Order: sequence, then structure tokens, then C-alpha cells
Amino acid sequence: MSESVVAAHPEHASQTTPSQPPVARVLRDLSVLTGGQGGDGTLTVSDLLARYFHAQGMYVYNSRSVLSRIRGGYAAASSRASVEPTMAQKALQDVIVAFHQDAITFGEKTLSADGFILGDEKVVTNPGQNTVLLPISITAASKLGNPLYKNVIAFGALSVLMGMDREVARKVVEQRFGRRSEEARAKNLSAFDIGVELAAKSPGPKPRFSVERGTAKDQVLLTGNQALAYGFVVGGGRFFAGYPITPATPVMETLMKILPQYHGVVRQAEDELSAINMTLGAAYAGARAMTATSGPGFSLMTEALGHAGEAEIPVVITDCQRVGPSTGEPTRNEQSDLFHAVFASHGEFPRFVLAPGFPQDAYDIGIQALNLAEKWQLPIILLLDQALGENMQTTPRLTLKGVSVDRGKLLSQEALDALAAYKRYEFTKDGVSPRTIPGMKGGQSQVTGNEHDEWGHVSVNVENRKMMMAKRMTRLRLAKPDLPPPIIWGDEKARVGFIGFGCTFGPIREAQGLLKRKGISSRFYQARTLWPVPIETLAPFLSSVDVVFVVEHNFMGQFARLIRSFVTAHNIESIVKYDGSSFVAEEIAGHVEQMMKEHASYVPSKTPIVTYESEGGGF
Amino acid sequence: MVEHVKPIQPTWCPGCGDFGVMAAVKKGVLELKIPSENLVLVGGIGCSGGIHNFMDGYGFHALHGRLLPTAIGVKLANPKLTVVAIGGDGDGYAIGMGHFVHALKKNTSITYIVMNNETYGLTKGQASPTSHVGFEGNVEPPVDAILTALSIPAAAFIARGFSGTPKEATALVTEALRFTQERKGFAFVEILSPCVTYNDTYDLWREKVEDVGKRPGYDKADRGKAFSTVLDVMHSGKIPVGEIYRTPDDQLYTSLDRTLLPNPAEAPATVDISVAANLARYEKMLASLE
Repeated sequence: MSESVVAAHPEHASQTTPSQPPVARVLRDLSVLTGGQGGDGTLTVSDLLARYFHAQGMYVYNSRSVLSRIRGGYAAASSRASVEPTMAQKALQDVIVAFHQDAITFGEKTLSADGFILGDEKVVTNPGQNTVLLPISITAASKLGNPLYKNVIAFGALSVLMGMDREVARKVVEQRFGRRSEEARAKNLSAFDIGVELAAKSPGPKPRFSVERGTAKDQVLLTGNQALAYGFVVGGGRFFAGYPITPATPVMETLMKILPQYHGVVRQAEDELSAINMTLGAAYAGARAMTATSGPGFSLMTEALGHAGEAEIPVVITDCQRVGPSTGEPTRNEQSDLFHAVFASHGEFPRFVLAPGFPQDAYDIGIQALNLAEKWQLPIILLLDQALGENMQTTPRLTLKGVSVDRGKLLSQEALDALAAYKRYEFTKDGVSPRTIPGMKGGQSQVTGNEHDEWGHVSVNVENRKMMMAKRMTRLRLAKPDLPPPIIWGDEKARVGFIGFGCTFGPIREAQGLLKRKGISSRFYQARTLWPVPIETLAPFLSSVDVVFVVEHNFMGQFARLIRSFVTAHNIESIVKYDGSSFVAEEIAGHVEQMMKEHASYVPSKTPIVTYESEGGGF
Repeated sequence: MVEHVKPIQPTWCPGCGDFGVMAAVKKGVLELKIPSENLVLVGGIGCSGGIHNFMDGYGFHALHGRLLPTAIGVKLANPKLTVVAIGGDGDGYAIGMGHFVHALKKNTSITYIVMNNETYGLTKGQASPTSHVGFEGNVEPPVDAILTALSIPAAAFIARGFSGTPKEATALVTEALRFTQERKGFAFVEILSPCVTYNDTYDLWREKVEDVGKRPGYDKADRGKAFSTVLDVMHSGKIPVGEIYRTPDDQLYTSLDRTLLPNPAEAPATVDISVAANLARYEKMLASLE
């Protein structure tokens, strides 16, 4: 077993500068990094670019790197557009928009050999090679009365330098700001025109390059957080309580806009303790309910997580992970809450930990989680991460195909009336008891976090305890066929495997493409159920390849370790990253190539695998 | 009718003040003819929090200190229910104090009854947030939840009763239940409930309670007057009880449940969530994504 660490951006060492200015060429895959001080509105430029390229039929992946403060500090956002589907950042930038010297200082080493920099003359003190300096913020202040219009001015200038369709770009500005007010529309359109004018007068070739039009159809721009929120609504979710926390807050913000239209309730609680307990109360009362948080908030929720397990309350908890522990790096990406999601809270109880890999997946699994929670009457943790949660990307239009509501053993009043006796925790074959909700006549019950008998009365009887433990824990085994299956991507006959979950999806998929071009074909097990560990599909996958790279954003290689605790496999390698930034495909592919080189013998013909199916009480 | 869970015998010590509180709750429920299937009792952790096991209704045993968020969640999921949160002074004013203040602010139409015995009975008599200086080595002057509640602008129903004067306690609880039945907001009733085992204060409290309503010129609609009277009574060495403050109907803030769910029949727990029932709106919503 080997744990190895990939240094951030190993291949991004500074590039040699071309002696000739770049000539116009046509790009099929490009990335624009916008960097400045927090509060500069760098995200606005990225957002406009994403909307433009989306309108041009390209696949878009936006990512951001901001500090956790509203103003100040270096903040950068990148926008990638590609003719081919992409769900990851690009290693090298084709354009850097610099609203601050830092954007050049920190960003220049990631500029591609024939890329260029668009800099704001007022703040850029040390322009790099190939920099177009324009009086962006000064003109914004003098002509429009507010330096913040520099974002749209820069976008206007980019439309010239990047050979964009002027009318489409202008329309994007109009759509983005027109909804706010007539003044916002007019001023931003002026800003765009000013940018066009400034760039037109600048020295050097115009455009520097042009961008090929894409053919992507019926795509929308969404983040994982947003997609999850929509899934929650169409899955019948009607109650949400949360507490503001980066990067999970957009789930609450999205739901605040839409849920009240469906007689739903969204509440901002006084803390995460309140948020989860309100959610439990609403779920107990019969609403499909969810809370969403990030690591620190999830830590506060752990007592209530166990309560949901013991009291058998169907509830969904989303943990949109960030860098931990403690306050960590609130705006940066990590997947280090996996162990916590799987093991959090004292005592033993069943839970499912599910992890979508891309926005559409967050929508689908969000819907499915609501059904699973009610069917199996237990807490479900949806593990997202900052990159999946916050990065906006093109996603196939969300549909209602296959969406259904399954409330499990929730009784109707008629079904309840037909019973001789109603016991909330009745022993059953599948461990799931019929459930009533307050207001139903004859369904009165005691729901409690104390160990209890079938009626819900407190009990310390040893036989009862054993039966209740079995009743609850047996669901971990019985529910397995119901849980989201993995998706296996790539070549069936490949000898190299990848395992990953969440935001590593895009980089792994792209790395598969890079490797394939070098003659290394691979298979990728995209895990969507993390707990209970899906050994039924993992074991055959591990056996089907010579070596498996488990790619994840944490120090310990948590998923690899979790898998190893259920199988004995000698072909698992870890690729981990925990510096706060997300993997790019080149890192993963480079790592695999190097490992393959170093361990030529590392291709065992037959890898013995033993699976342990029944530890302890035997789930 | 289908047989359902039966109330069990209380686990309280003989003579416990909590018996009087439960009697008051039962009488209030009876008086207002609240059907037991519409009654949700959310209990906290501690002796008092077991009350839901001893009454007919839907019982939920919440986590220590978290009964208020739980009860608010129940009410906001289905405002047709009568939701009563019942716990002790440790549960409510120590581990749950943050939620207490915010429950007053949130102003959801639920009744919150705190059985205050000025000690942690279930863990055998430690000092609680309401213990006086000197009790079990306590050196911190106690909190007073009535003063706390009075300081929250939305708090509209604030009362304190005494388990030793059951008629008055019953009247306060009944009024609180009526207040929430009418969806007027959050009703808070603290009931002094002696712990006969670790802090037997029956005789002391019988001597010390003073009904503020009997003070000449007392106006329970005057928050400032209520505050100063409560302080006066406390400074004189007595314990203020009675319906201490009540916002007149025409000055009430709209309760949270009424604001969010004007029609109680259309609520998160009861609205039709099938895809078929929502199809047109779902399609429109998804089509609006760009």
C-alpha cells in the first residue's frame, strides 16, 4: 500500500515566452482566469463568460478561489469553455484578467505559452509578457461613476480580444443586468461598449484568437448545490432549515426562492443545532425534510444525527464539505468529512452516505434520498464538496423522467383503521415499522431517542435491546439493492482502474482521456453510495483490473482505507490532494504514468481479493 | 378503534411538583377539547421531560435542550396540530437557553412549559441555572426567564405559575393553550415545581409567591410596567407569578406559522407532494432554468 501526495500543479512551471506576438488562432478549449481583490467582482466576469460560451453551444466549467471575506484578499475565478464535454478546471489559462497585481504574480505561471493578460492599468504595477493594459477602473469611475463597472468593461474588452460575437456578448450583459433595473441595464451596456472601444484602440493584434462554436444542446448552467435544491423540490421536499455556512448556503438560498410556492417552509435557524432539530421535528410531523451544512455545522449536528437513527426519523442531511478541521478554509475544496459522515455520533445506528459526482447526479440522488429516507426510516447524509457545490457548469436540462414519490410504510388513515394495534417500533422482517404522523386518529405513539420497546416506551430489557439493535442495523444490509449504484466509466477490458466520488469525477474522466491518448486505457468506478460500503460492486471491480487508484481530496486516503476495511486487496493505490485546490486531469494522469513507470512489475496477473461480509453483528 | 400506545404511570417521586403541572396540562387540554391525535407533546431531557409518556397523544422525546427547535419544526410542518413543549429549567435555561431566546423571537404558535425546580433532579441535585447562591455550592446568581422573555420584543404571552396553587396554574396553562390554538404566537409558562427529593421548596415558595396581577394598577399589557413590577417583587424577596405580560390582540406581531402558512390546511406535512399533483408547476420551474 502506498500513500502518495500530488504536488499542486506539477506541470505548471513557468512557460517560455514566445518572441512573436501570438497570431489569431481558433481555440476549442480555453480557460480565462479573473483575479483581483475580494469585492472586485471577479466572479461577475467569470459568470458573463460562462453565459456567453453557454450561448455559443460550448460546455462550461466555472470554478472559484476566493477567501472567506466579503472584501479584500486575493480572489480568483476561472471560466473554462470547451467544445467537448468538460467537468474540470483546465491546467493552463489562455487569458488572465488582472484587476490586481496579484493576479499576475500568482497567475502568470499558469498562463499558456501563447496566452495573454488583460490588465487594469491603474493597479497593475508589473505587467507580464504579452499584457494588454487598459484604463479599466479609471474609465469606469469617470464615465459611469462607479469603479465596479470595470467587470463589464473588461468583458467588453475581452469580446474584442477573444474574437467573440459582439451581439451575443452584449445580449448576455443585458440579460444578466436587465432584470435588476432599467438603470442597471443601461449602465452595464454602456460599460460593455466602453470596453469594446478601449480594446479596439489598444495596440497589438485583435483578436488574439477566436473560439470555435460548440454544438452542445439543451444544456443549462447549474451548480451542484442548485441542482440538489431542485431535486429536493421535485422529490417532494417541503421543509428545510439551515444556518448560513460556506459553501452550503446556496442550497438554502435557492430553496428560499422556490419552496414557498409549494406551501413549503424554509427557515434560517439560530444555529445548526436548531436547524437539524427543526428538521427532525418537521420530518417526524410528516414533511419531507432536509438541512444542508458544511463540516463545522455537521459537527454540531452529530448528536441529532444519532437521534434520527435511534428514533427512526427519515431525514436528509447535506454536508457540502470544505477544508477542515475546525474553521479550516471555508471557501476551499476538500473531501475530508468522509469518515465523519460514516461514523459521526455516539452509538451505532444505520445511515446511508451518498455522494453525487456532478450536478445532474446531485439532482437525481437528491430525489432518491428523500424516497430512501422514508422507505428505510433513517438519516441520510449527502456528501457534496465545495467544487461540486459551488462550481457552475453546463448540465443537461433537468427533467421529471423517472421521478416518483415513495413514502414507504407511511400509513394512510384507512390502512391504520384496519389494524388491530399500532406500534411505532413494531418488529418486522425488514426492520421497518409502519409509521403514522401526528393528526392521524389511532396512530398516537411515543417517538424517542431512548432505547424503547415496540410501543416507544423506554426499555432496558436485554432481549428487547438485542432485537431493536437487529431491527435497526439489519436495514444496512437489506437496503443495499436500493442504494444508488456506481457508474463504471471507460473501457471494460482496461487493466487500470480509478475509484472516486464527488468532485473528482470531472478530473478523473478527463485524465482517462489523456491516458488513453498515451495508450493507457482505464475504467473508473464512480462511487455514489459510500456507506454502507458497496462491496458487492467494489470487489468485482477491484478484481477486474491490475491496479486501482483511489482519487480523493484528503490526507489520509479515507475512502481507500474504508474500502480496505471491507476487502483485502493488494492493488489499491491512493492519489490524494489536500491543499485546498481541486485536481486537474494532468495531475492525475501524470501520477498514474509515473507509478506505472516506477512499478513495471506492478501488474499482478491475478489479485487475490477476500471480502468480509459479516463483521460484528453481521450487517 | 385501533389500539395505540397507552400512557404509563409517572416515574416521578411521590409529591413531585410535576404532578401538579401535568394535571394543569390535562385540564387545559380537556377544557379546550383538543383531541389527543392532534396533541403533540415534545418533552425535554430530565424528570419533567418524561411527561409525554404519561399522557395520551403524540409524544416526542427530544434531545437535551433541543425541544424548542423540534417543536417549532413540528408546528411549521403542520400548523393544525397543538404543539406543547415541556421541559425543565436545566434543559431550557442552560443547554437550551439559546433556543429559548430564539423561540421567543421566532414567535411560532406553540406552548412552552418549563417546570422549574431550581435543580437538576434526574442527575441528583446539582445546581441549575435558576439555583440561588449557596445551593450546592452555587456562587452564580440565577437567571430569571421571565425577565429574559420580557426583553424579547415579539414575546407576547409570558406567565409564571406554581404547582402548589393548581387552580391558578391550570388557568395559566389553559390560557396559553388557547393563545396558541388561535395562532397568536408563542406562549411561555414557567411553573415552579418543587423537587421533593433534592430541593423541597413547597413551604418556602408558598410563602414567597406574589401574584403581580393583584398589585394595584398592574397592567399586563404594559411591558415596561411588567418588567419593573417583576423586579420590584424580586427585590422584596418574593417570586412574581401570574399572567405577567400579554400583548393586546391589536398589537401582536403576526406569528411565524401564520406568516409562512396562512392556510393551515396547506402545509409541508399535509400538502400533496406527488409528481402528478405538481406536474405543471415543476415543468415550468425546470423550463425556466437557463
